[in-house]
This record gives sequence, C-alpha cells and structure tokens, in this order.
Amino acid sequence: MTNYLLRRVGQAIAVVIGLLIVTFIMIHMIPGSAARSVLGVRATSGRIAIFNSTYGLNEPLYRQFLTYVDQVVHGNFGTSYQLQQPVSTLIAQRVPKDVVLVGISTVVALVIALPMGIYQAVRRDRPDDNLLTGVSFTLYSMPTFFFGLLLIAIFSVQLHIFPPEAPSATSLGGILADPRALVLPVLTLALVTLASFSRYMRSSAIEVLAQDYIRVARAKGLSRRLVLSRHVLRNSALPVVTLVGLSFPNIIAGAVISEEIYNYPGMGLLMYQASTSHDFPILLGCTLIIGVATVVGSLAADITYAILDPRVRYGRA
Amino acid sequence: MAVREDPARAAAVRAAEPAPGWNQHALVQGLRTFARNRLAFIGVGLVVVIVAFSFLGPLVYHTNQVTVQLNLATLPPGAGHPLGTDPSGYDILGRLMLGGQSSLELGLGVAIATAIIGTVYGAIAGYFGGIVDAIMMRVVDTFLAIPSLVFLLIMVNLFTPNVWIIIALLTMLSWLATSRLVRGEVLTLRTREYVRAARMMGGTSKRIVFRHLVPNAVGVIVVNATFTIADAILTYAALSYLGLGLPPPHADWGTMLSNGLNYLLDGDWWIVYPPAVMLIITVIAFNLIGDAIRDALDVRLQRR
Amino acid sequence: MRTLRRLAIATVSLALATTVAACSGTGSGSAIGNGNGTGAPKGQKEQGGTVTMAWIAAAPNFIFPLAPATNTDGYNVNLTQPMWPYLVYNGDGGASAINPQESLYSSMVWSNGDKKITITLKPWKWSDGTPITSRDFTFVYNLLKVNYQNWVSYLPGQFPTDVTSVSAPNASTVVINLNHSYNPDFYEEDVLGFVPLLPQHAWDKTSMNGKVGNYDETAAGAKAVYAFLQKEGGDMTTFTTNPLWKVTDGPWTLSSFNTNGDYSYVPNKNYSGPDKPTLSQWVNTAFTTDTAALDAIRAGGSVDVGNLPLNDIQQASVLKSEGYSIASQPLPGVAAITPNLYNAQVGPMLRQLYVRQAMEYLINRQQIVAKVYQGYADPGNGPVPVQAFSQWASPLEKSGGPYPYDPAKAVSLLKAHGWKVVPGGTTTCQSPGTGASDCGAGITAGEALSFQLLYSSGQATMDEQEAAIQSSEAQAGIKIALKSEPFNTVVGQYGVCTASSHPASGCSWQLVDVGYDPYNLYPSGSSLFNTGGFNNNGGYSNPEEDSLINATEYGSSSQVFFQYEDYTAEQLPWLWLPLESNVWVYKSNLAGFAPLNPVSGGLNPEVWYYTK
Repeated sequence: MTNYLLRRVGQAIAVVIGLLIVTFIMIHMIPGSAARSVLGVRATSGRIAIFNSTYGLNEPLYRQFLTYVDQVVHGNFGTSYQLQQPVSTLIAQRVPKDVVLVGISTVVALVIALPMGIYQAVRRDRPDDNLLTGVSFTLYSMPTFFFGLLLIAIFSVQLHIFPPEAPSATSLGGILADPRALVLPVLTLALVTLASFSRYMRSSAIEVLAQDYIRVARAKGLSRRLVLSRHVLRNSALPVVTLVGLSFPNIIAGAVISEEIYNYPGMGLLMYQASTSHDFPILLGCTLIIGVATVVGSLAADITYAILDPRVRYGRA
Repeated sequence: MAVREDPARAAAVRAAEPAPGWNQHALVQGLRTFARNRLAFIGVGLVVVIVAFSFLGPLVYHTNQVTVQLNLATLPPGAGHPLGTDPSGYDILGRLMLGGQSSLELGLGVAIATAIIGTVYGAIAGYFGGIVDAIMMRVVDTFLAIPSLVFLLIMVNLFTPNVWIIIALLTMLSWLATSRLVRGEVLTLRTREYVRAARMMGGTSKRIVFRHLVPNAVGVIVVNATFTIADAILTYAALSYLGLGLPPPHADWGTMLSNGLNYLLDGDWWIVYPPAVMLIITVIAFNLIGDAIRDALDVRLQRR
Repeated sequence: MRTLRRLAIATVSLALATTVAACSGTGSGSAIGNGNGTGAPKGQKEQGGTVTMAWIAAAPNFIFPLAPATNTDGYNVNLTQPMWPYLVYNGDGGASAINPQESLYSSMVWSNGDKKITITLKPWKWSDGTPITSRDFTFVYNLLKVNYQNWVSYLPGQFPTDVTSVSAPNASTVVINLNHSYNPDFYEEDVLGFVPLLPQHAWDKTSMNGKVGNYDETAAGAKAVYAFLQKEGGDMTTFTTNPLWKVTDGPWTLSSFNTNGDYSYVPNKNYSGPDKPTLSQWVNTAFTTDTAALDAIRAGGSVDVGNLPLNDIQQASVLKSEGYSIASQPLPGVAAITPNLYNAQVGPMLRQLYVRQAMEYLINRQQIVAKVYQGYADPGNGPVPVQAFSQWASPLEKSGGPYPYDPAKAVSLLKAHGWKVVPGGTTTCQSPGTGASDCGAGITAGEALSFQLLYSSGQATMDEQEAAIQSSEAQAGIKIALKSEPFNTVVGQYGVCTASSHPASGCSWQLVDVGYDPYNLYPSGSSLFNTGGFNNNGGYSNPEEDSLINATEYGSSSQVFFQYEDYTAEQLPWLWLPLESNVWVYKSNLAGFAPLNPVSGGLNPEVWYYTK
C-alpha cells in the first residue's frame, strides 16, 4: 500500500507540473496581446512596450515559464495584470467563498440524497420511486443558468421570499451570517447534485439490498430500520463517497455560472475574467491550486476505494 | 451536480461509477429488462418524437430562419406564428425545429467521437497496465485538472466558430472520462477466462483488445455515449450562456434559451420557455435511455 | 445577463473625466427626455437618507487620483472624483456644460493668443480646514512634470508636456503658459478636466512618517513623492483608514470599501462648495451582470438606483408601479464598426470609399434604433452624437447624415464599380483595375465582398444589432461572418494598423465593434481619425482630414467644427452606428437625480435628496 501511495504521490507531482506546462502553453495561445487587453482601447504603443517589458512578455516562452516556476517555488504567485493585486491575496479571498457555497451545497445534496436513494431502492419500481426518478431526472437535465434564473424570478422577484443575490460580505463570518441569501444559490447547486447522487445511491442500494448478508440480517430479526440505516447505508454509500472525493476540486474551482447569476464573485468568475483578459498570473495561479486539489481529490478517491473495497487491485494482472 | 459547471468533470464523475460485468446471456436478459422498463420506453418515444419534429418538421412548416426582420420582432403567439417570434423576427416554432437539428447533431457528434477516442485510449491503457497505464492515465489526469471553462474560453476564440469546432472541443473534454471508464472495464475484463484463453492460443494484444475486450465493454460504452449526448447538449447551452456559442444566423436550443433568458422577467414567455422545454425534455429522454440501459446491463440485478 | 458588460457603464465613468465647452447648451431631449417631467417628485425635502447604487462589474482598485499608466481601471475615477473633483467640473443638471458650483475655479481667462491661462481659484478649504491654494495646483504640476510617463491620463503632446511654465503669483491665482495656442474649449477638455487639486500641505512627503516639505520642487523629490503616493494609493486595505485619503476637497468622504467593488461615502462635513450633500450616505454596490442588478431592484428594497438594459425596457411599467422612475441619458461618444483598412486580406476592399459607403447605406439605423434599442439611442448619423452634444452637431448630421438607409444606392454603387451583385449570395469583382468603373487597386478578379465582424459579447442588444446588420448587408451580397468574444479578448486583438505598420499579430481583425468610443465634452476627432492617432485602429489617413482636425484644435469656431464633422461623416473612416443611451432606474421620490446630463449624470448625489 505504501508503495502504491508513494508511486501515486510521485505521479501526482508529475501531473501538476505537466498541468502547469500545458496551461502555460494554452494561455499564450489566446489570440491578441495581453498588453492591449489590459491597457484597453486607448493603449499607446509606448505603454504597450512598457507593459511587455515590465512583465517579461518579450522573453521566449520557455524562459517565461522557468521564471514563473522559480517565482512559485519562492512563494510568489505574481500580481494580477488587470486587478493589480497579488494573486495569492485574490485566491485567499475567493476560495473561502466557494468553499462555503459549493461545500454547503454538496453537504445538503448528500443529506437528502442518501436517504432518498435508499428509500427509492426499497420502493423500487413502485409509483413513488418512479415519481422521484422523474423529479431527479428533470432536475438533472436542467441547465444551471436556467434553473438559477428561474428560482430568482419566482422566489425573489415575484414572491420576495429570498434575496436575489448571495451574501455580499467578504469574510467567512459575514457570509455565514446571512443564511437567507444563501438559500437560492445553494438550492441551485444542490438540487442538481442531489439528483445525480441519489441515482447512484439508488442503484447502489438496490445492489446491496440483494446481497445475502442483508437477508441474513433480516432473518436474524433485526428491525428493517436498523438494517437500512446500518448495513445498507454504509455499504451503498461507497460510490457516492467516491463521487464526493472527485468533486472536491469544485470547492476550489467554484461555479462560474452560479457566481455570475447570484452576484457572488468567487474563483469561477476570477478565472473567467482572467481568461478573457490575458491575465496570466491569475490563470496560472488558479490552475495550479485547482490542479493540486484535483490530484489530491482523485488520489483520495482512489485510496478510499482501495481501502474500502479490497477486491479492487491496481497494477499488472 | 456542482460539477455541472465543469463539463469534463461531470463526465469523469459519472465514469467513477463501478462498471457492471457483462456476458452474452446478460445481453438477452438486458434487452428484455430494457423493453420492460417503462421509463426507457418513454425515453425512446421522446427521442423519436423530437427527431421527427426537428428533421421532418421543416419539410412541412416553412419559415425563414436566415433573414432578420426587425419589423416582426418579438411578436406574441398568434396568426402565422404559433409560438410567436424572437427579437430578430424569426418564427420560434420554425427555429425550434432547426435548433433541434443542430443540438441533436452536436450531441450525437460529440458522443460518437468521444466513444471512439475514449474507447481506444482506455482499452489500450487498461489492457497493458503497469507503466503504460500509469502514464496514459496520468496524462488524462493532467487534462482533467485543467479547468474546462478556461480551456473552452481559450480554444473557442482561436478558431472561426462552426459546428465542427464545437464538436471537437466538447469531445476534447468528454473523451477523458470515457477513457477512464473503459480502462476500468478492461481492467476487470482482462482477468476473465476468455481473455486468458485467447492469450494462450497466441492471440496478439491488438487482437485481444479489439476482438474480445472492447466488444464486451460495449454495454458500458453505449451507456456512457448516451449520457454524453445529454451532457454535450447541456454543456453547449452553458457555453452559449457565457457568450461562447455559435453566432447568428445559426440556431440551436442552447443559444435560443440563453438569449431568451434576457427576457425572462419581461413577460415575453414564448422566447424563453419553448427552447427550455425542448432542451430539458431531450436531455431527460437521453438520460432515461442511458439509465435504463445501465440498469438492464447490470448483471447483479439479474439475479434478483 | 450573460457575460460582464463593460461597455456603457465603464465608459460613463470615463466620460466623467471630461471638461466642458465654453459655450453651454442643453442636450436635446430624447424619447423619454432627461427625466424632465417624468415623475418629478413633489413633496417635502427629507434630510438624510441612504441611496444605494448598482454598478456593473465595477472594481476600483486605486485611490490616489493620479493613477499609474498600467492601471486602466475606469472605475477608479468614480471612486476618487467625489473626494477630489477635477478643476473643471463637467455636467450641470441636464446640460452638457461646466458646473460653476462644483468646479474649483471662479474664473479662467485666456490671453496671449490663447497661449496663456490665468485661473482664479475659489476660496475653498480642504476637509482639515487648510485653505486650497495655488500651491496645490503647482504641486500637481510638479509631480506630473516629472512622472507624466506613469500617469494613465497622459496624452502624448499634451499636459504637462505642452506647458512652458506654471506660476502662482498669489494664493488664489495660477498662470499657465503653453507652448502653442490652443482652442480654449479643446484645452479645457483635455487638461483641466483631468487635473484635480491635491493637498500639498498633507501629501508632499516621501514616507508615511516623514515630514511634509517642498519635495515636489526638485525632480528627484517629485519622483519620490509620486512613488510614495502611488504605493499608498494601491493598498486597498487602507483606503478608509489611511490619513492621507482623509484630506479631501470634494463633497464626500469614503466610509467603507471592500474588494468586491462595494464602497460607500458619507458627506464631507467641511465641504466648501454650495452643493452640500443632503443624503447621509451614498452606497455603491457592484454586480456581476446587469440582470443580477435588475433582479435586485425588482426583488425590492436593496437598490435605489441602477441601470435598465434596453432589452428589458418592457419592465419600465412594472418598475413604475413598484415606485421607480426611468430616465434616459444619452451617452457622449460615437458607436461604429471600425474597418481595418490595412488588413492583409480585405484591406484593399475596405480602403475604397464606395465600398464603405455601400456598407453604410445598407445599415438600417433607424430601424435598429426603433426595434433593438426601443427608441433609446442616438441615430448615429456621423461622428458626433446629435443628442448628447447637440451644440456640436452640424445641420447635416441633425438632418440624418449623408448615408440614410438605401439598399438600392448601395447596389448601384457596387455595380458602377465593376462588381457582380448577388443579393443573398456573394458579390464578386468582375472588373479589377484602377479605372473609374473598376473595383480598385489591389482587388483581384472574383474577389468576394466577405468580411468578419468581431464584436464584444455579453449584451443582448449588441447581438441583435449585429445580426440585423449581417442580414441587411446580405441584400447586396456582402457577406458578414459574425464572431463574438468577451470585450477584453476583442480589445487584445484590436491593434492599430497603418499603411506602414500592420503586423499580423495585431492586425488580423477585419471589422471590429467594441461598443463605443467616449468623447470628452468637445468631441474632437483627434486621436480617432487623424493619421497616426493612437485610437485610429483602422489606419485611416487623409491629409484633408488631418488639417480639418487640426483646425478644430487650434482655432475656435463652430463653423470650422462643422466642416470637420461633415467631411468625416462623409468619408466614413468608421461605419457609423446607433449609440444606445443609458437608461437609469431610480426611486421615484429621489429628487435631483434627473435630469441627467451625458457626462456626469448619475454621479452627483450631492444634489439628490428624498422627498416625503
């Protein structure tokens, strides 16, 4: 196991470096010049020249890359061209916002999906299962932007129940202090997530329910409730737990559409804006962080799976 | 899923589901289960209706979907325009049909391309295992870690926009998950007897991979492809919402919906809801079909 | 509601930084008028109250009024203007005119053949009680004299490099000598509209704990002071606490600021001007998109003033019933499609005047104004907006401009120059050559009139407009392929292309529409249409045009200006387009908001108040 772990960590580092190189090449393919994007329509050639030399954009690509890596190794992620602030500050400001939004949404989705999946499995093919399936599918098939705007139109504009924007505070405490404003954004993300979690949970629970050990437990006289909550839940939750691990990077990467609709500037919007305006330091910094999160999440998922399901083995057959 | 915001990851997450095993007997069983599944029936039925609407509809109902006629802009449903007109003066019912063609072609195109590329890549990785597998899968991980939105934003602007470019870009995002899925399936399958038998009889790797492993993984590939159609349609809708869709006079539901949403609060319901309904129903239909196929193929369920 | 729309709002703030023509005039009323008579609140004036304004994608990040050359964030002006107004305050009620109450000078006299300005400053005080004196102006001049290369508002050849000397004969007088004579209107525009007065007695130092001195009087000292102030000016965490920024001469003081782009002001109790704020707080909130802002208004309560995107104009009646009024503000600028006259593929075609004329004849601007902008747009008859700057709009422009919609004329123009016109198809050149009835130099046989129009995404009305243009150009077989990209991405590719220099990296664009180019109050074509102008991206170059522009800068008569205007309108260096107005939504009981002048409307809450 340790061997495997070590190998995977080594590979993870390779992936992150590869990611950085690929991203670096990609962002330099954006059409147009960074100087013009940032300085705007009224840029003079003199200013463009100053910009390019200030940020080292005239150097050959490989040298720019090495300079960047050198900076990062010394803990300096550079300064955003557009926002004129250190990239690390920007990331530190925005990541907590997404952790709250996406984190809470995932938890809400789990809390509802797990019991719902079991319930559906138990009532398999009966009308209420079909109804919940229908609801799940409808939710899962909605474009997020449509769903979010619809929620705002109904619950904010028409009914005035919830505010149309997510909390505008910049601190974690401030955000959490305004739960009413979190309802709609969390709902938007959670309901779609919930739909997919519950499908997995349902099929997984169906499979577990067919197992012999469940029959044995029932035969032993254990109450149905106990059987469901203890045996079925734990065993069928495994794929869902893996899913959560794989979606961990989204807590860092944010959700650009929800952020835009609910006026909640987070990592998603940061990267989106940076992509449109050649803001290389932000793009590289964010990709790095997300890349690390992805690799960590993926590794954690694989390990969890290997630990919990000894039948799975990796390597040469 | 929150991953919906990140299309590549949405597919990867779906691919994490452990693949069911499969054999010849199960195929027959599976088809029977599928046929009996009411929801599958609904799904297939919907797809048939939508395809007919999109491809046969315009033969019957002729509208001009190329010339902007501002004097006809934003007319409510009425004479001559059963679903009204949009802000450029296009008849909405006619545009839905044309949009359906684009959306379906897009979805199908992405699904087929993804299936081919992902399958070949994943099968090779899964079969050879070891270092080859590790490198190939780490390459997949690298590309998966790139935020898909950033990737799309950059790539879309590099080329003159047309349907093929969009198909290619969406494929570049979806093949990653398919390859993971197929690789996992192949990993399971290669320990099976028939593979060992083929090896002992002297079969080449290539032959084993393509003659034995891939056909047995077909079920999983088909399921994945069906879901890919649905995901591609949704992803493209999100792209057009962010301004990266195809420009006029191209018509498709995603662009119609995201443009229409500008009018959500204005009371011009006919611009918003028809494309939304078509989009959602189509995606539901493909999801239902995929789900039903997956259920049908799950050998473990057969035992019950 | 899609991507972030930076056009109209950002440029409103840019437009704020303008000066005013010596002749005042009222803007002509647009369809809805400048709010005159539309729900003008009657009732008792209420003291205090908070007004919350919604801004789209606003993210100011610099508080020192002289921003570095690399910081082009247009919202910084919005942040600093209420605290350190420019010497000349532009925009008075509904008029495009100098605001005598809010400007910092009481008289400005030109002499010596328009090469000398004598400015008398008002006897106002800084917020800490120190009088504002001419030393504050020389402080600014000294800083800029040495650091102009690192000042974002510096225009080559203009302030401070065109100044030969500045002197302060007494505490309230400033004398500026220029190196050549200028049109007073034009110069007040470019200089004094961007020059604030800064508190020399508080800011003339080189470190936080250092003592104030006359460091600005030496070149090295000026550099040090400027560097220090710029360093402090970018530290967002101290915007509200740094004692430097508490010394202001404007009506407002910054009370809170966060990195989301939200910031608020409270009245400066020691403001010397007559327009002391009645409101007790002015809150500015940043929204990601205009839909999010509109949703906030509709959901009720949190936003008092915001913008109404024109595609949502139908909501005006609902908004009225919810207690809001609508007012439109014509924007000071010119909207156009810029043709790249030196693009490698299509340059030769675009260089032919008749081709540009045909393309302009095919744009049905009136219909676009009516159907896409619902009537709230300037018709785009030429380089000068007839509504925002009606005093500078020539009779030709006011009567519709030289190119009203006429597809038949477009077709005949093309035919007369040897093109085979295929309506709905592709028009090709049948008669290449340079003769009078030939296509023109550099155009090959069979070449098609086919162009790519690159425009900025994120605005529903812009999408509709470009689609309409694509469709109507097709009537003469001119093929326009549309490509929409986010604004910054478009700008990144929108290089300046001239006959002598058109590298592929910045000149692969063929037609570009970035929204509009804002004007200062004197809508001179300098930098836009003159040879080598840094905003002349298409490379238009014409000696006659250059001399007409020159005449408008260095003479002062409206006849001269009209000459320039009409000639430019006819020459089509750019393809003129309608310019949409800014439609504001504001609480009906907020008096003083309307009428809105094009340049500072919406940015002067010192004259607003609530009524009961």
